[in-house]
Amino acid sequence: MTAQTGKEQAVSSMATQTAARQAAQRRASAGRGSRPSGLRHRRDRRGIWFIAPFLVAFLLFMIAPLGYAIYTSLYTTKIIGGTTFSGAANYTQVLQDGSFWSGVIRVIVFGAIQIPVMLAIAFFFATIFDLGVAKFGRVFRTIFFIPFAVPAVVSAVMWAFLLEPQFGPFTHAASAVGIHNVNFFSSSLLLPSIIVIAIWEWTGYNMVILYTALRSVPRDVVEAAILDHASIWKIIWRVKLPMVRPAIVLLIFLNSIGALQLFTEPLILAYFDNSAVSVNYTPTLYIYNTAIGGSQYNLAAAGAVVLGVVIVAISVGSLVFRRRKGQV
Amino acid sequence: MSASTVSVSRREERRERRRQERLLEEAAQIPIKLYGLRRGTVSGLTALCFLFAIFTLIPIAWIVINSTKTQANIFETFGFWFARPFEFLQNFRGLFQDVDGYGVYFRWFGNTALYAVLGGVGATALATFAGYGFARYNFRGSRWLFYLVISALLVPITAITLPLYLTYAKVHLINSIWGMVLPSMVSPVGVYLMRVFVEVSVPRELIDAARIDGAGEVKIFFRLALPLMLPGLMTVLLISVVGIWNNYFLPLIIFSQNNLYPLTVGIGLWSERAQNSGNAQIFPLVVVGGLVTIIPLIALFLVLQRYWRSGLLLGSLAN
Repeated sequence: MTAQTGKEQAVSSMATQTAARQAAQRRASAGRGSRPSGLRHRRDRRGIWFIAPFLVAFLLFMIAPLGYAIYTSLYTTKIIGGTTFSGAANYTQVLQDGSFWSGVIRVIVFGAIQIPVMLAIAFFFATIFDLGVAKFGRVFRTIFFIPFAVPAVVSAVMWAFLLEPQFGPFTHAASAVGIHNVNFFSSSLLLPSIIVIAIWEWTGYNMVILYTALRSVPRDVVEAAILDHASIWKIIWRVKLPMVRPAIVLLIFLNSIGALQLFTEPLILAYFDNSAVSVNYTPTLYIYNTAIGGSQYNLAAAGAVVLGVVIVAISVGSLVFRRRKGQV
Repeated sequence: MSASTVSVSRREERRERRRQERLLEEAAQIPIKLYGLRRGTVSGLTALCFLFAIFTLIPIAWIVINSTKTQANIFETFGFWFARPFEFLQNFRGLFQDVDGYGVYFRWFGNTALYAVLGGVGATALATFAGYGFARYNFRGSRWLFYLVISALLVPITAITLPLYLTYAKVHLINSIWGMVLPSMVSPVGVYLMRVFVEVSVPRELIDAARIDGAGEVKIFFRLALPLMLPGLMTVLLISVVGIWNNYFLPLIIFSQNNLYPLTVGIGLWSERAQNSGNAQIFPLVVVGGLVTIIPLIALFLVLQRYWRSGLLLGSLAN
């Protein structure tokens, strides 16, 4: 029963699942008619006290700043003349700034390549470990997870040394196999280099989540497939993959939000070789440099709001798209 | 005498538990013979795992080896083997010194630990209360509030951090540790995970039974629910601590005094400085500093692996 509920929950999306649970709760509480409803209601309301401490912090450090960002984005500050209401002027400036949009397109390209490649690798190894068809699975799983413990700053520093155009071991290795004068920080190779770094950083984490999802596929389903003489590939594609699809959707969602905010890796690589990383290389770098470098906080706030809208549009858009296709 | 006996028996207990876990895992495994694989397949797949393990370990091996080198040797000798002179202690000692007036590494280390502990404990406490409230009470608007909390995941960090910086400037929270710690206590993911964990592990019937016995809501939470929530609580604590330990953007923006920097900002600053300064031997410090930064976290997750697994399992159940 529990497994069945788990499966049902797994195939519904997060939103519908919660809705269903709430409905079930309502049904359950309605079923227990013996309890005086007034008492129930009073008790329920006490829940707010458990949530209140978090809500206060949430309002102060999440909602209020967001509101303030939107407010600031509607004003313009000049050295002479002070701060004046300027309506959509900052937005017009951001939206018409080609370098902001080229940054947006760059992180979309980055995500569109990095996320599928990483998830394919992660799913491949998660499946291998789940089936137990490789030796030393436990050891490999632990090793693959290690990069999760490495801060992005340190990963970027390590990879910057490894890929450095003059002294880096990878540059030497490339010239040893006949590819001379390769520059991993050149404008054409920089994005692929960052993709490799991001794959290094996040594959293990995604692999572990997929692995735990695969482990929760009931054993008897797989056994039944084996008795039906299904090949191992059929078991992977037709039995296992459909059952972990919700986990994959969640990972695509979370990884996309992260990818669109790419910041630390290009910033640190720029310290090592700043020729390829423009100040507008990603939207977050654009916002950072506009605010901290240029002290144009109002413009930066408008950029942050636009980036937020892009993120919401892409996530909600993909959710609607999937629902229309009848998946999830 | 008695203390050592206790520690021995506890170690045995732990070993026994680990053995049982492994047995359970093996029992859940379908024998690979049944899949009818060809003989070479297992070796081939193990080889692929081995290749990816090498890819994963290359930067780690590089940072370990190069933490023992001088600046000249870092650039001029083969990156994946040691070179004379062996300078690890010399480099490590540099972490206690102020480099070019840019700050002391171990000061940053202490800051990071402080922010991670304060922020992590706070985030876990708030998420535990809120997760329980959302999971086990059904007041008006709770559903709507929960969606609001979850949708905060979509908000870019810049849209939160920039206004925080502007506001801090007005209320004197710039260069205050609270400017870093308080926002770190807001963890929508933590609330989400705790809510799911309560749904799975704190039976509604148990709470109802305690109510019938006349226990108050607060007592029910601390005496009954909290012990059942401990594994989930540990997971949220770990996730929060790692998140704060690795946080870069917020401290980069709000701190302008280098004695308040966490490790990430300090190392970023050093690597920028290393490029621009001619004579200072900063590169070896960046390398050994990077190594010392990642060791505590790798240790933390190796020791507490059990909680990682349960937490990530939650994540996969939750959707």
